[in-house]
Amino acid sequence: MRARWAAAVAFASSAAGFLPAASACPSADEGFARLGSGQAEIAYRWEPSVLKVGQFFTAEVIACRAPAAGAVREIVLDALMPAHGHGMNYRPTLAQAGPDRFRITGLMLHMPGRWRLTFDLMQGDTRTRLTQEVDLKP
Amino acid sequence: MRAPALIAACSALAIAGGAVLAGDKSQTVLSFSSPEREAILSHGPWPLPRSPDPSNRVSGQAGAIALGRRLFFDARLSADQKRSCATCHDPALSFADGRERSLGRERVDRNAIALANLQLNRWFGWTGAADSLWAQSIRPILDDKELGATPELVRDRLAADAGLSAAYGRLFGAEPAREAPERALVNVAKALAAFMETIVTGRTAFDAFRDALARGDAAAMARYPLPAQRGLQIFIGKGQCASCHHGPAFTNGEFDDVGVAYFAAAGRVDQGRHGGIAALRASPFTLLGPYNDDATRTTAGPTRHVEPQHRNWGEFRVPSLRNVANTAPYMHNGSLATLTDVARHYSDVDIERLHGDDGARLVRPLRLGPQERADLVAFLETLSGAIAVAD
Repeated sequence: MRARWAAAVAFASSAAGFLPAASACPSADEGFARLGSGQAEIAYRWEPSVLKVGQFFTAEVIACRAPAAGAVREIVLDALMPAHGHGMNYRPTLAQAGPDRFRITGLMLHMPGRWRLTFDLMQGDTRTRLTQEVDLKP
Repeated sequence: MRAPALIAACSALAIAGGAVLAGDKSQTVLSFSSPEREAILSHGPWPLPRSPDPSNRVSGQAGAIALGRRLFFDARLSADQKRSCATCHDPALSFADGRERSLGRERVDRNAIALANLQLNRWFGWTGAADSLWAQSIRPILDDKELGATPELVRDRLAADAGLSAAYGRLFGAEPAREAPERALVNVAKALAAFMETIVTGRTAFDAFRDALARGDAAAMARYPLPAQRGLQIFIGKGQCASCHHGPAFTNGEFDDVGVAYFAAAGRVDQGRHGGIAALRASPFTLLGPYNDDATRTTAGPTRHVEPQHRNWGEFRVPSLRNVANTAPYMHNGSLATLTDVARHYSDVDIERLHGDDGARLVRPLRLGPQERADLVAFLETLSGAIAVAD
């Protein structure tokens, strides 16, 4: 079995009444990139802003649009190197920083090359996956 | 593998379109593509800037370095007073011991890692069972197979020597005799760490080549031997060596399974990184514990986030390759006597030895020919530089 670490938080959000569409996306001026597909869209940024091999970083992720009703209760962020068949060596942790806003710490990509990042937006039993590929320079 | 292009006749340097074209009539430089140049440049500059370890309040202090140096060579840290740190980390042998597996009070399971550039480490030891240099320094002192001491023994022997006791008192603000044994042990380890942090490797022939590439100095580049250039091209290309042996220290600081036998003895498996994480979690001497002098715990991130995974079985440290030619034998168990043996190992690696499927796609037989293996070794031999250490 191949273990892959993902960040998850099960925030007992008292989310009744949350709108299906989540928060407004911040602008690029705030250093956020956008990632969307169909009815889902997120904005994310890294700290430090430039990813480097072997350097721990933090992700700030905002759910801007989500397909199902109710709050986005968690975002599972994972990373995989498709060419090598392995994921990260560390288990990130996630904290909710506000409605639809999450902060994920303990991320580290330990090799240069192409990484596939997956953001799973969890709403109730609905999971919506967004994928972003990152080429990490040596 | 694509054939390297040799360009020898040009009199002027031209760097364009991803190729280094040049040299004078007697010199040659391979043609390196733009991605290759980028990969080469990523292995420098060297040396890297260094700063004190925030988890060790005496890191970088002259008094700690001096005390640590004395203790490093002092056999009174061993139960039988016959061995010191330097027994297995001999300065004359690049701070290793040249043995397959080290000999303490008994033969141990692993090869002695050469001590150098330790401030760059995230983890220590072959399995990363320690998350700081001072914590790593405690392990062999207490290990029955190595120095076989106890915290009480260390504290009492220190207290019995007026000179050591005074040096300790000046540094840590208390006489060792008045210290709790575990506290005295940790402080001894912090002094040892302060000394070992000063062991650094100097610039190498590769660094001169890399810096010449950075500034476009073809004449200087051409002084780098062609076999080493060809080996470098394998290292960053076909060999995929730089995937793990990344950056200026030629290591990503992590762990991998590269198909080395994992039986430490008949019927006994060396768990590798899996066991290292378990030992880390069981240890009171981690960056999450009470002996970390960094109150903010900013350095404890990796310790906080590391979790055992199935593929950690059989994984061992990706060692730095700086000074690798001076630190034979190789691998965690010293099972490969020479760099040629290492090149042959990766050329013919038995993927059936790999524990999981994770590493299988990265570590695979390279099928290097004799010339390629010789070139790879020629490159590795250019990673040696003079060792500097505090007097």
